[in-house]
This record gives sequence, structure tokens and C-alpha cells, in this order.
Amino acid sequence: MAEGSIALPQVQTFRPGPKFVQLIPGVLLLAAIGYLGKFVEQSVAVYAKAHHLHLPNIEYVLWAIVFGMVVSNTIGVPRVFLPGVLTYEFWLKAGIVLLGARFLLGDVVKLGGISLALVVLELAVAFTFMTMLGRWFGLKPKLTSLLAVGSAVCGVSAIIATKGAIDADDEDSSYAIAAILALGAIALFTFPLIGHWLHLGDRAYGLWAGLAVDNTAEATAAGALYSDAAGKIAVLAKTTRNAMIGFVVLGYALYWARKGQAQQVEGKAAFLWQKFPKFVLGFLLISLLATAGVFSKPQIGSLANLSRWAFLLTFAGVGLRTNLKELKLQGLRPFAVGAIGEAVIAVLTLGMVLVAAKLFHL
Amino acid sequence: MSADSRKPSPPERWQLSVDGWAVTIALLLALLVRLGLIHRVPW
Repeated sequence: MAEGSIALPQVQTFRPGPKFVQLIPGVLLLAAIGYLGKFVEQSVAVYAKAHHLHLPNIEYVLWAIVFGMVVSNTIGVPRVFLPGVLTYEFWLKAGIVLLGARFLLGDVVKLGGISLALVVLELAVAFTFMTMLGRWFGLKPKLTSLLAVGSAVCGVSAIIATKGAIDADDEDSSYAIAAILALGAIALFTFPLIGHWLHLGDRAYGLWAGLAVDNTAEATAAGALYSDAAGKIAVLAKTTRNAMIGFVVLGYALYWARKGQAQQVEGKAAFLWQKFPKFVLGFLLISLLATAGVFSKPQIGSLANLSRWAFLLTFAGVGLRTNLKELKLQGLRPFAVGAIGEAVIAVLTLGMVLVAAKLFHL
Repeated sequence: MSADSRKPSPPERWQLSVDGWAVTIALLLALLVRLGLIHRVPW
């Protein structure tokens, strides 16, 4: 890896305090790239209108990701920017919590309920298929477990949580993370195209993106690339999927502990709480407050816009951390297992979503 | 020893995770909006 270029994301704990100043350059870079994306989207629209042209509306989401990728894959991300760039996960989660203001709790319960039923089906399909595929390709069992968790639940966070719980090798988790990130990047560009080709409605597409795209940042971006409404639903479906992380990691921890290849789990309730993504609770709380009428309509608009600004930084971060050279170095077999698995899961979840869309008039 | 079974030392125990920070800052922003201290956020 070139000196100063961005590495594949590993476990990051964002700790402000004395190191807060170190975050500033990277956060400013995220803001600059994100804002450039927004500026280009608006400029293209103004130019097209002034010259009576029918140019496709390319959302700021795509511009921000592409500009980030250009920087990451040409000059690289200088070391001084790295701490701030890695805060993209913080902006993503803060954005999701604030997005809760745009959901009435009834919608969360209805759509979340449908999502939950589909998530349970998706988990069963993903685990079974990925485990079989890993065996066919002769992957190490723990690497297969990590890939299965990554593709079934929520990408990098789930892999990192499972790695600790099943005592998997660093190498295995790096392979799994690389494969999931590469596939997430591919999904980001292919899902909206497939959605438009199939003329999917915003809700059906959003559900599909939330169920099938692995990493939360990529799922959010894949949804937002389709439409604002689809982005909203994608976040809800993905959040439902994220909420399952504790159960899945606990299941794998117990499985590997029984085989004598991981530590015993003491205190299952505490384990579940430790693994539960707390931002889901923040999202539900804001949604509850919005439903209870705590915020006026303009205030909900302000919270929604704050969420958009947070996502703007996230999408720039997604582009900046996508290093194609790094992804190429990670070996073909884990990528092939992930790619085949993802393609099958995407097709099956699409089928489930289409059935649900008919049944529940989405 | 896995990372999960390690007991945090007292100062670590009170350090917030990314999730913790995200929820705290988001709720703080929501409070500022509710109180009218953040009046209008343009997009």
C-alpha cells in the first residue's frame, strides 16, 4: 500500500476529546467532496434547464462517491486526513437517527414489521446458501462464517463483531471485509439500474436495497441514488437488519464455542445488549417524538435536512475508502463466494420484495 | 483473549462508542431544533 493511502477499514473507535483537532482536516475533506457533489448536481440541472437539454439527473450521492473514489484511487488520502475521513460511520449513524423524524411510528411498525419478516427469511436463505458455497469452494469454516454474517446481516460491523466472538483470524476477517466492501461498491451502481429496468416503485426498491445491499453506508447510498423516498425505506429495512446483529453473532459464538474453537459466552442477555446497534434506539426515539408531535412541521424539515447533510459526508467517505487496488489484492476465492452468494441473495430478496409489494400494496 | 471478553478499565468504560456519539449528537441537535436555537436548516 502506498504511504499515506487509505487502508481497508478495520475496527475504529471514534474518540473525540484531546484528539478532536486531528479530525478536523478529514471532516473538512468529507464536507468539501460532498458539497462538490451537491454543487455539480445543481449546476448540471441549471445548465440543462438554461439550454433546454434533457440530461439525466445524476444525484449528488453518485457525484460525491465518484469524486471520493477519484481522490482515493489517484493521489490517495494523505495521512493527515485519515482520522477525520474515518468519521464517516459516525455521520452515517447520526444521519439515520435524525432520519427517524421523517417516520411516523406507525410507518416504522408497519414497514419495519414487513422488513422484519423479510429479514428473517433473508437470513435463513443467506446463511444456508453461503455456508454451502463456502464448503464447495473449500474456504476455511471461520472465513465462511464471516462471509455468511457479512452478507446476511450488515457487512463490516457484523464481520468485526463476529470476528471477536468466534476468535477468527485477522486474515480471514480482512478477506471477508474486502469481499463485502467490493460487492457493496458493485451493488451501489447495479441496484439502481436494475430497479429502473424493472420499474420498481420507491418502497419496493428501498426494501430491496435495504435487504440485499450489505454495508449500511452502501445500502443508504443505493437507496438514495434511486430516490429520496427509496433512500428512506432502504434505511428502515437496513436498520431492521442491523437490529438482528446481536442474535446472529450470539448464534455463531455459541456454535463455535460448542466446537471448542471459541470462548464460552457468559451472560447471553449482556452479550446481546453489547452487540445491539444503539443507533437503532436513537432512530426509534426520534420517530416516537415526531409521532407524539414534539416537533413542528418546519422543525421536522430541519431535522430531515440535518440528516441529509450527515449523509452527504457519509457518501464522500464511502468513495474515499473505496480503494480498488486494495480490493484487487484480496484474493479471488472469497470474492467469488461472496459474489455468487450476493447475486443469489439479491435475486431471492427481489422475489420476496415483489411478493410483499403485491400482498401489502407497497 | 478475545476483544469481547476483555473487561474495560474504568476510563474506557465511560468512553462512548461511535453509536453512542452518533445518538448523543443527533439527540442534542434535535433538542436545539426543538428549542428554536437552530431555526432553519437549508438544503
